[in-house]
Amino acid sequence: MIAPIEVDKLTKRFGDFVADDAVSFTVKRGETFGLLGPNGAGKTTLIRMLTTLMPPSSGTARVEGHDIVSEKGSVRRAIGTVSQAQTTDENLTVRENLAVQGKMYGLSGRLLRERIERRLKQVGLWERRNQISRQLSGGMRRRLEIARGVLHAPRVLFLDEPTTGLDPQSRRSIWDMFDDLREQEPDLAIILTTHSMEEADFLCDRVAIMDRGKVLCEDSPESLKRGLETGERVELETDRVIAPEDREALAEAGVARPRFPSATSVHFYARPGEGTGRRAARLLEDRGYHIVHLTIALATLEDVFFSYTGRALREA
Amino acid sequence: MSTARGERRPARGPRLALLGIAAIGQRAFLTLWRQPVLVVSTMIFPIVYLVVLGNAMNRPLENVPLAVVDEAGNAYSAECRRGVLALQSGRQLVAATFLSDRGGALDGLRRGRYRGVWVLPFGLSPAGPAPSFIGDNTDRFSFEALESTLRQIWQEVSAPPETPPAAPAVRLEAYPYLDYLTYLGPAIVCLAIFMGSMVSGGLQVLEDRMYGYHEGYLVTPISTGTLVAGNILAGAIVASIAGGLVLAAVVFLSPLPAAGTPSLAAAAVTVFLTSLSIAALWFLVFARAKSASLLRGMFGIINVLLFFPSGALYPIESYPPWLAKLSSIDPLTYGVRSLRNLLLRGAAPASTYPDWVFLATFTVVCGVLTKVLFRREV
Repeated sequence: MIAPIEVDKLTKRFGDFVADDAVSFTVKRGETFGLLGPNGAGKTTLIRMLTTLMPPSSGTARVEGHDIVSEKGSVRRAIGTVSQAQTTDENLTVRENLAVQGKMYGLSGRLLRERIERRLKQVGLWERRNQISRQLSGGMRRRLEIARGVLHAPRVLFLDEPTTGLDPQSRRSIWDMFDDLREQEPDLAIILTTHSMEEADFLCDRVAIMDRGKVLCEDSPESLKRGLETGERVELETDRVIAPEDREALAEAGVARPRFPSATSVHFYARPGEGTGRRAARLLEDRGYHIVHLTIALATLEDVFFSYTGRALREA
Repeated sequence: MSTARGERRPARGPRLALLGIAAIGQRAFLTLWRQPVLVVSTMIFPIVYLVVLGNAMNRPLENVPLAVVDEAGNAYSAECRRGVLALQSGRQLVAATFLSDRGGALDGLRRGRYRGVWVLPFGLSPAGPAPSFIGDNTDRFSFEALESTLRQIWQEVSAPPETPPAAPAVRLEAYPYLDYLTYLGPAIVCLAIFMGSMVSGGLQVLEDRMYGYHEGYLVTPISTGTLVAGNILAGAIVASIAGGLVLAAVVFLSPLPAAGTPSLAAAAVTVFLTSLSIAALWFLVFARAKSASLLRGMFGIINVLLFFPSGALYPIESYPPWLAKLSSIDPLTYGVRSLRNLLLRGAAPASTYPDWVFLATFTVVCGVLTKVLFRREV
């Protein structure tokens, strides 16, 4: 069985600058694969190479078994894209935008009409089909672009930052829409780029974390977080000032690199499943403290990114 | 069931190409339909051009300020002054000022108050001394008009009218009378095509590149050839609409006694072919361009390079060789010539076939070059 996407040491150089450095991964059928990384990590360049908009400097990649350099036509037939750029013509209505796009994929007549209706209903724009696109809100416009991307029933869908620039509410509703889409098209492989860990967490079956042109790690969000030395975040707050000797006792009990954001609280990371958080709480209670607040949470992808790069995703 | 599905597969090959061209055309047409101001603005420019240029260039001179200094004060100078007054009240060529002081008149000339000074010197007579004309030659037109008219007056004054006039030369007009505005008509149609060609086609592709819209269609399976052909065609259709509307206005407003229905039908074909060639040229110019600043730079140059060498305003026969060469590869030359032959001279459509062949060839050459140069990348 052919994998929807196979990327093998794909590299893109712009002069001395290496945008993508020997990137390799495979996306499976029906999977949503996320490329998570800060701006400038090489995600968009990678997507452009895979969607035939840019030739690679070296390495190869196959989309639905078709080489992205020598079989551009077949690749184009197999894929749908939603790019960061605005690909909606503002002077056209919602339906006209899809009609123009559909014809370029060889759809016409009844087939085109049916597809447009189905996709517009899927993205919740059917009621607005005759509205001029200029009048749509940012979120609705993004939905229209997503409808454009899947109009011709592609086998692989590329989404470059699908929710960047949207307010949290529209963002959430687009996520829900993707959930529905994946339910209705179980074979569709989706590859999306994002610099939002929440988005990667919510949407992706597997995530590759990218930074400076390289893939740092690749797994399901859960496994990535569990695999961390620091996969568990513990926040403890007590009723009084934590004495210096009790701070030392915590370190002796296996609490690594504790931080004391205030005199009465301690935060630290721990390896998941070892019960360090609860042990620390008990230790403090044994020494007469009353625990006012205890949080033990799984780390976020942000923490995963931090553990690989030493930088926060937002700062990078 | 499977056959029914098979019939409803997306198109490929030539049918996909046709659908692609239809899609580009549909978008161009809808863009125009939603923004009628685009058509209006493309048509306003040529019409303003017609009205202003037509009236600015071909009207007789009037009220050119002339100073006359009569130092002679004899019968001949009185005759000369009467001639100037007749010129003023009759043809209204001059607005004459009579001065006695030569220095003051020349000073006025240098200050631009007078375009010429006519000095009638002391002792003016046919035997000499004769009048002298000092003219402002920064303006060739009025200088020559004044000079020749005043010379004529002196000839009439100095030579007795007994000499019999020469027999008038034979002069025949081969076609019905045309005023300059009508003569400009075909040029204005071509100007409208030029303006209309800036709305869609290659310029739309340039705009798409700037806003990233092109990413949406570069990833579709239609071929680069289809993209080029579709955009040239879309550009040509929009340009034809502008050119056709102006053509209709010219036909409707100007007396074109020579042109019959076949000529008018052929003129419509010329408009379309000219539109194709200009649209193809624009796309070639912008095959690789990424920013609109190039458009700003190129618009004036292309306008001048296409419009002035085309013989739209002045006869090509007056051009120096290099300009004549440029003129011979300028599609507008062939558009203007074809329209003039058809509309003003009522020529049979067959006579314009060579022009059509040139325009079609020009389009194909530009289209092929564009396809080679076009980068299907971002």
